[in-house]
Amino acid sequence: MRYAPAILLGRIARTLARWRKPGGGSAVPGLVVNTIAPGFLPRTLNGFPGGLVIVTGSAGKSTTTKMLVAALRAHGLSVFTNQSTANISQGLTSALLERVSLTGRIAGDIAVLEMDEGHGALISGTLHPRVVVLTNVMVDQIDRFHDSDMVAAMLAKIAARATGTVVLNADDLYLARLGEGIAAGVSVARYGVADEVLAANPRGLGYTLTSPTRLEAADGMILTGVSGLDATVLVDGRMHELRLPARGTHYAVDALTALAAARAALLETFDAAVAAAAISTIPPVFGRGEIVKVRGTTVEFVLVQNPASLQLNVDSLDPDTEQILVAIGSDVRDPSYLWPADTSGLGHVLIASGSKAHDIGLQLAYDGVLVDRIEPDLGRALDDFLALPEPTRGVKTIIFSADSMRRTRAHLGLETNEADPS
Amino acid sequence: MTADHPADLTIVTLLPRLLDTNGDAANARVLAQRARWAGLSARIVAVQSAADLPEAVDLVVIGSGTDTDLVAARDALATLAEPLRAWLAGGVPVVAVGTGWELLSAGLDLPDGSSVDGLGLVAGRASALPVRVADDLAVDAGGLRLLGFENHVRGYTGGATALGTVSYGIGNGDGTEGVVDGSFTGTHLHGPVLARNPELADRLLRAACHARGLTLAPSAQTESVDGIAKAARNQVAVRLSLTSE
Repeated sequence: MRYAPAILLGRIARTLARWRKPGGGSAVPGLVVNTIAPGFLPRTLNGFPGGLVIVTGSAGKSTTTKMLVAALRAHGLSVFTNQSTANISQGLTSALLERVSLTGRIAGDIAVLEMDEGHGALISGTLHPRVVVLTNVMVDQIDRFHDSDMVAAMLAKIAARATGTVVLNADDLYLARLGEGIAAGVSVARYGVADEVLAANPRGLGYTLTSPTRLEAADGMILTGVSGLDATVLVDGRMHELRLPARGTHYAVDALTALAAARAALLETFDAAVAAAAISTIPPVFGRGEIVKVRGTTVEFVLVQNPASLQLNVDSLDPDTEQILVAIGSDVRDPSYLWPADTSGLGHVLIASGSKAHDIGLQLAYDGVLVDRIEPDLGRALDDFLALPEPTRGVKTIIFSADSMRRTRAHLGLETNEADPS
Repeated sequence: MTADHPADLTIVTLLPRLLDTNGDAANARVLAQRARWAGLSARIVAVQSAADLPEAVDLVVIGSGTDTDLVAARDALATLAEPLRAWLAGGVPVVAVGTGWELLSAGLDLPDGSSVDGLGLVAGRASALPVRVADDLAVDAGGLRLLGFENHVRGYTGGATALGTVSYGIGNGDGTEGVVDGSFTGTHLHGPVLARNPELADRLLRAACHARGLTLAPSAQTESVDGIAKAARNQVAVRLSLTSE
């Protein structure tokens, strides 16, 4: 009953926050509990019988986490997870509050948490994850993380907390190097793509540094092919087919990451066929190639997290796409950071929006993209964009940064990504 | 330059694989587009090694890299020291950002007290700052306001002439920012500094055009894009409590 008062107060804060702002205020209850009972978060997270799995890295965390959870549940496990974008400690604590008993226990065999590399490095010192999953190192939020060296150092710090296995992307040279420094007694599970998969992506896979050689099948799981929404993986000498939530090699790598992580979490009970089937059923994570019906029209949402994902998304966009809105918000503190991407493939953008509308408009103009209108007011831009006649080719496509995604979601009254109740 | 595809201007970007952390290599794209909008033909040549060097070079862009790659970038730049020296002696405009600039200096001081030798092509050296700076940077360059973002752990001492004085931010660390040394311009304003500061871009382009007997003509496209830059700049100016343009 040690944390009962804190839990009660947190729940009161949650009720108040929701009463004041329906659907919002998810960080406030966590802030309350973390302030009065700082031990609650690590103690609860370290208390799952099957241990804690942390998924971190520059990109692909949300999709990988969701796929991994599906794979574990398909093996009969009860999983606690934070599939939302609330991946800071306040958000985590708030998510735990949803399900914790007053004695501080949570029903569940295992916890799978997506962690932002910066916050993860800060709170990981109190955690004892059994498995740490590292996706990649990309140039991301340079005003916060400065450069890839710093991101790699933060990931190394989180990886150093692993008690069982570090699962890592062997194609990412930063992570491959990091794997060489993992302490004895902790195993390293590697995954990577085949030569043909890399060759099909002439700009690479978006990693800051790509390993000069590909992983051998004997040394880990291999992504052997990607075609549209279909992918094939080689696990222990056997081929498995996967269905992806959206087009793009990066989604296939996310699925491969989830497979390797599932094996590390399940150990001898891992069944690759069961995991592959479960991963193939997951719907797109919000904003990651998700297609929604809103205001009577079909819209595809594309989330841009860093220059590499902007490049991958521009390159994998259906070339027939006629109506595009690009919205970049205040999360992009330094507008320089998207410039390594070449956006010329977009060709024609109807509206550039978000609080960084002029900055992204400037980049698009220099990339030779025709921009019809720059409208910093995102609400107005969305209203006008959705009211346009149906495109004759492709679907209405909205490319946004995380901040603009949240504002878009709120403006259109779309569901929020609260902690998974199941 | 090949005879069958003559371009008015040839812009080279040095080591874009190693030196493009913040999209600084995009400055080559900015120069080329502005030249094209002015009715000139322009081509960008990415130079990863001396073998990629074109015969004639009109403008040179060097971006910024990570500290992990400092020595690798220095060694790669060293193989281009002779052409760099010739460009600077010949008055070819060279603009370098962050580590790309620092590596052309006498050397760089690292946080652990060690140092990395530079190529010694421009006066001065990159000296350690007390803490890393990552924020907006506003510079008064002789009445011309330069705006951008800085993200670095080193300042600069002993440069020839400063590019300007700092009105917001840290810059070189002594109230000045950047360096102008003959046809060389070095700055901590990272990323597409030339897109956000079109007057600086045109200053470099005009010098390159002058050397070739060309004129940089204004165009509707340039005017329209500079309008976007102005709106973006004013947003920053308001945030920093500076006057709008």
